[in-house]
Amino acid sequence: MIDKKTPIIQVKNLYKIYRVGETRVHALDGVDFTVYRGEFCAIVGPSGSGKSTLLNMLAGLEKPTKGEIVIDKIHIENMTENQLVEFRRKRVGFIFQSYNLLQTLNAVENVALPLSFRGVPKKKRNEIAVKYLKLVGLEKQMKHMANAMSGGQQQRVGIARALAVNPKIIFADEPTGNLDSKTTLEILKLMQQVVREQNQTLVMVTHDNNLASYADRQFRIVDGRIVKIIEREEAAKQAEGD
Amino acid sequence: MKFLDLLAMSVSNLKRRKLRTFLTVLGVIIGTASVVIMVSLGIGLNSLMIEQYASYGDMTMVTVYSNSYYGGGGGETDESTFLTDEKLAEFQRIDHVTGVSPVLNADAVLKQGAYYCSTNVVGVSRDYLEKIPLGQGELAAADDNELKFYYGNRVSMWFSNEKTGAGYWDNEEVPPVDFMGKPMFVVFDTNAYWQSRWSDSENPVKPPKKYMIPCGGVVEGSFDDYNNYSYDIYTDVELLKNQLKMVFKKNPIPGQPTNSKGKPYSYFVYNQAMVFVDDMENVLEVQQQLTDMGYQANSQMEWIEQAQQTTGMVQLVLGGIGAVSLFVAAIGIANTMMMSIYERTKEIGVIKVLGCDMRNIRNMFLLESGFIGFMGGVAGLLISYAVGYAMNHFLSIGQQMMGVAGDISRIPLWLAGGAIVFAVLVGMAAGFFPSLRAMHLSPLAAIRNE
Ligand SMILES: Nc1ncnc2c1ncn2[C@@H]1O[C@H](COP(=O)(O)OP(=O)(O)OP(=O)(O)O)[C@@H](O)[C@H]1O
Ligand SMILES: [Mg+2]
Repeated sequence: MIDKKTPIIQVKNLYKIYRVGETRVHALDGVDFTVYRGEFCAIVGPSGSGKSTLLNMLAGLEKPTKGEIVIDKIHIENMTENQLVEFRRKRVGFIFQSYNLLQTLNAVENVALPLSFRGVPKKKRNEIAVKYLKLVGLEKQMKHMANAMSGGQQQRVGIARALAVNPKIIFADEPTGNLDSKTTLEILKLMQQVVREQNQTLVMVTHDNNLASYADRQFRIVDGRIVKIIEREEAAKQAEGD
Repeated sequence: MKFLDLLAMSVSNLKRRKLRTFLTVLGVIIGTASVVIMVSLGIGLNSLMIEQYASYGDMTMVTVYSNSYYGGGGGETDESTFLTDEKLAEFQRIDHVTGVSPVLNADAVLKQGAYYCSTNVVGVSRDYLEKIPLGQGELAAADDNELKFYYGNRVSMWFSNEKTGAGYWDNEEVPPVDFMGKPMFVVFDTNAYWQSRWSDSENPVKPPKKYMIPCGGVVEGSFDDYNNYSYDIYTDVELLKNQLKMVFKKNPIPGQPTNSKGKPYSYFVYNQAMVFVDDMENVLEVQQQLTDMGYQANSQMEWIEQAQQTTGMVQLVLGGIGAVSLFVAAIGIANTMMMSIYERTKEIGVIKVLGCDMRNIRNMFLLESGFIGFMGGVAGLLISYAVGYAMNHFLSIGQQMMGVAGDISRIPLWLAGGAIVFAVLVGMAAGFFPSLRAMHLSPLAAIRNE
């Protein structure tokens, strides 16, 4: 259910300028958009267009040069590092391209890890972890260590880990970047389905137009600017037109 | 984050690199063991020294002399510093003083069979007598008014044969004097005794009266043993004073001072006073007060003070040597932690993205390095106990170095506890800057693809 009345992410006039020696790189060059609760958004664009930069800033991993980011009615652009960590702990789930599971932990422990940062007792957090691992279809791999799983399985664990803390928003940077096309579709559909079921907001970065078409809305980004916002129906029509 | 979760994470990280953890811990083990062993040797040395002094005599005792020595000195006599009962009562009022005993030396000639000796009988208070360790006999009851002598275990060496003149010093034979078994005859008026002995037959001098004085006891130990009480003959000072008054009546008592007109005083003047102090710590303070009152005061503590300064230096040097190896171990810990942070940059980034508090990250690394310190501290302490035990039981270094039997390596509880706490602190200090570094690592490291 997309709730068009409740904005969860509001970005206003966002700039990110990197200094590389004498030159300035405008990674983001004045970006404005709004994401609503329950939406599945994709940020699409060619390599180097500033997709990751934008996502990192939304997740509070990097600070903008200029502009406003309001997440769940909270301004995060001026937060200290400590406040940002707390913000992520309480509201944000993250899915990585290279999964980033902790190699020393098994699937359950990996999913339970962010819960331990919230001080959830071991028994409780393992229950939650098991629940989400079932949701992503890993009943049989619960006790597997991270490196004893395939890429697709690892990314499923990654998704379960992002969901486990029941965040307001999930960010995913090229979540299928390291997977083959079959697994990519499986993972994508899983994310779509799970996010819908849990009524969560998902912001995904991809450079693949085909994958982006699974999203409710696509933000097309080129050279640090949003050049086009495509609604799902439009995307479908476009596809037909082709 | 719960402390137990934090600890579990730290420990699992240490387990991940077992060999490296072991080698780092080994450094701490060696460091802790050398500090503990060195300090324990210092403590042992110091205690052995104190025990050695203690074997020479009571360390809480101050001996007081009057500066204006009367008798043969011939100089000015200053009545105000005479050691009298009144003055002794004053000493008793000094802080930390638990008791005062007069020491009254009375000339006497002792005779048993063919053997005799010319000596001093030392009159002391009951408190003092109670301190004398008797091997035979026992101290008379407090209300016993009979004068009794208590003999040192080596007193027979002063005796010699009246006819041959031969004594212990001539033939190294211990004169067969039996204090407990046979009666001892004592002459207090020694002047008269010598006059009668050396008088010629033309104008003979009547020999003075002899008194049979019973023996109360003999100091513990055989003739070859030695302690503080081995060489003297002790008796109760009050009974001795009565005896002297009875023997000399109104005449001057030998050894007692006379006033400017050559008349004896109406009271006894003691040769020395013994002041007993409650604790070794306060001995020098009491001694200083006695000196300020115009007396000469001596105690074993003066020597110990000096010797302690020396052993203090030795302790410092020994501890320093140990500290160097612990310092090297600390560098090892810091190095290990830095390595581990480089290796785990990505992991640290990931947990930061996942919302792990920065303080938790820092504490995780501090715990890790503290845990290395803890393991090294405990193992190092165990090794120190083992090495100490070996030194005490198989090498008897104490015996060789100080000539006293006793443990050379001593690990008191505070040292054991302190060593572990210190090792943990060293570990955490070594891990402090690495942990800050980990805390401030950028989470972006986790996002970048390898
Ligand atoms: N730390 C940095 N310092 C300097 N320039 C940077 C930095 N990070 C990103 N950039 C620049 O900002 C621009 C956007 O980079 P970004 O990583 O956001 O691209 P992207 O859209 O995610 O590309 P890709 O699809 O290849 O991941 C690029 O031109 C890049 O060179
Ligand atoms: Mg990118």
